[in-house]
Amino acid sequence: MGNNKLFIHKSVVYSVITLLFTPILTTFIYSLSSSWGATILPDGFSLKWYSALLTDPRFIDAFGRSLFICISALLLATVLVLPMIFVVFYYYPKLDKIMNLLILLPFAVPPVVSSVGLLQLYAESKFQLIGTPWILIATYFTIALPFMYRAIANSFTTINLKDLIDAAHLLGASTTKAFLLVILPNLKKGLLASLFLSFSFLLGEFVFANILVGTRYETLQIYLYNMRQTSGHFTSALVMTYFAFIFFCTWLASRLTRGNTQ
Amino acid sequence: MSYVTINKLSKCFGEVTVFEDIEFTIEEGEFVTLLGPSGCGKSTLLRTLAGLDKANKGEIWVDGVDITHTQAQHREIGMVFQSYALFPNMTVEDNIAFGLKMKGISKKDAKEDLQKMLALVELGGKEKCHPHELSGGQRQRVALARALIVKPRILLLDEPLSALDAKIRKNLRQQILDIQKELNLTTIFVTHDQEEAMLMSDRIFLMNQGEIVQQGNPEDIYTKPVNEFVASFMGNYNLISAETAKHWFNINSNNKVAIRPESIYIKDAGRQYADHISSPKLAKIISHQLLGNVIRYNLKVENEELTVDLLNRSSERLMPKGSSIELLFNLNEIQPVGV
Ligand SMILES: Nc1ncnc2c1ncn2[C@@H]1O[C@H](COP(=O)(O)OP(=O)(O)OP(=O)(O)O)[C@@H](O)[C@H]1O
Ligand SMILES: [Mg+2]
Repeated sequence: MGNNKLFIHKSVVYSVITLLFTPILTTFIYSLSSSWGATILPDGFSLKWYSALLTDPRFIDAFGRSLFICISALLLATVLVLPMIFVVFYYYPKLDKIMNLLILLPFAVPPVVSSVGLLQLYAESKFQLIGTPWILIATYFTIALPFMYRAIANSFTTINLKDLIDAAHLLGASTTKAFLLVILPNLKKGLLASLFLSFSFLLGEFVFANILVGTRYETLQIYLYNMRQTSGHFTSALVMTYFAFIFFCTWLASRLTRGNTQ
Repeated sequence: MSYVTINKLSKCFGEVTVFEDIEFTIEEGEFVTLLGPSGCGKSTLLRTLAGLDKANKGEIWVDGVDITHTQAQHREIGMVFQSYALFPNMTVEDNIAFGLKMKGISKKDAKEDLQKMLALVELGGKEKCHPHELSGGQRQRVALARALIVKPRILLLDEPLSALDAKIRKNLRQQILDIQKELNLTTIFVTHDQEEAMLMSDRIFLMNQGEIVQQGNPEDIYTKPVNEFVASFMGNYNLISAETAKHWFNINSNNKVAIRPESIYIKDAGRQYADHISSPKLAKIISHQLLGNVIRYNLKVENEELTVDLLNRSSERLMPKGSSIELLFNLNEIQPVGV
């Protein structure tokens, strides 16, 4: 009876895993095969698609642009959000409820709607923003906001903020010093987790990138989209590279956050 | 002039007044305890002294200087919090040295002070631990060392022992006293445990609902309660009505009359009592509690209920529920109290 139950549990888990992994696995095999036409099995395996991809300067540039945009947006978010949450929690704890509502706004509006709205709003501005990376950085900042706010706010609730700052004050620290030396190090875990989460999310963002900037500043997702006409093996290699990178980031994130608790 | 002088200090949060027009003085090196029930404003008073909460009115003078409007970081007042408030990201060593670092003293120069402090609070060998690796008592000692290393002019301790178990409590209590005497530190200690207050203090300030209802040395507070609150808070005083007092002892009083449980005797046949131990009354035992070396009897005498403490000498002498006995009262220790 117990064994039977265990068997059912296991088979459910393994079927789900198989279901989720099959597309990735087949994409991976496809990206490794030299050509795979009317036959059941591919004609042969080679790394030529990967080498073609990794030596394509357009790919390297697109990857670099994506990294630049994501990292800038996250830097901006960190620099603005950290002190903001501190102010909310230390000086105006009642604001936390309102903040929780506000930060959900970027999610409440579908990306297509808000990107068209942004287009209209900035089409006639004096500065040329549409089509530049800057508007994308600012937009990504708002998308990252909910992730960052929630994760960091959680870290704040796990420490005894008021007493820690009070203790630091009595030992001669100013509020700024208390924040930098006593509070900030305790937020590292939440901050890192939210940064990696937002990073992988932003790296895969397509709608805003396509509508607001498009081919004028080709990011990774736009590049992938533009390459859809080329060989399927090539795009598979591209998707796999992207996956590998995200996996690496996730692994790094879990390592860093785990290391912090020890 | 006294070392610390508090002048008509008031504090309110919005509409809620926590305390009003508090006044007291403390001498240098004195160990003073703020004693009072939960919520009476002890922590708020300490925080106001430390500058963490702003006073709404009144003055705080320390060593002849008005510090009412000085910021907390410049007051040179050390405090140990009820919640320890150790910095979780720092080692024991860094926690203790934090105050020196803020003064611009490098870790190398602070080494000697640090070693001395670690030895003082008996935490040698724990320098590299993080707070979450320590026991409650050890954490409290780190908090103490952290406050002491900057040589504060006044040390404030907010129920530093309340989260600890009885044995550690006893040790740490003595340790705090020893350190306080060694450094001749002016100390204000907060507790709601009257036994702790009596054991440790040079003087006790008894607080209730934002007022200091009585201040004095432990003996005076215990033996001469000024009102019903003090009498009921300090040791289980019996309070009998004015009419009963008149009837029993011929004492004229407008208020209730207090009799300590140890001032009542259960009469042993064939034993001689001093003259001031008299006024015999018949009583019935309702119940008893064993408190270790003391047995506490709850008795009914006419229409009053009394508690009497006797030394617990042997179990044969334990009197069962319902027994009738005769009581004697120490007339010198019966006193009317204020309201
Ligand atoms: N920040 C605050 N805002 C509003 N009211 C407060 C605040 N801090 C304390 N109070 C009120 O002031 C009163 C005194 O609180 P305080 O913390 O000083 O009590 P306490 O004597 O230290 O109690 P305990 O023994 O439980 O620690 C309480 O009624 C509390 O509700
Ligand atoms: Mg308190």
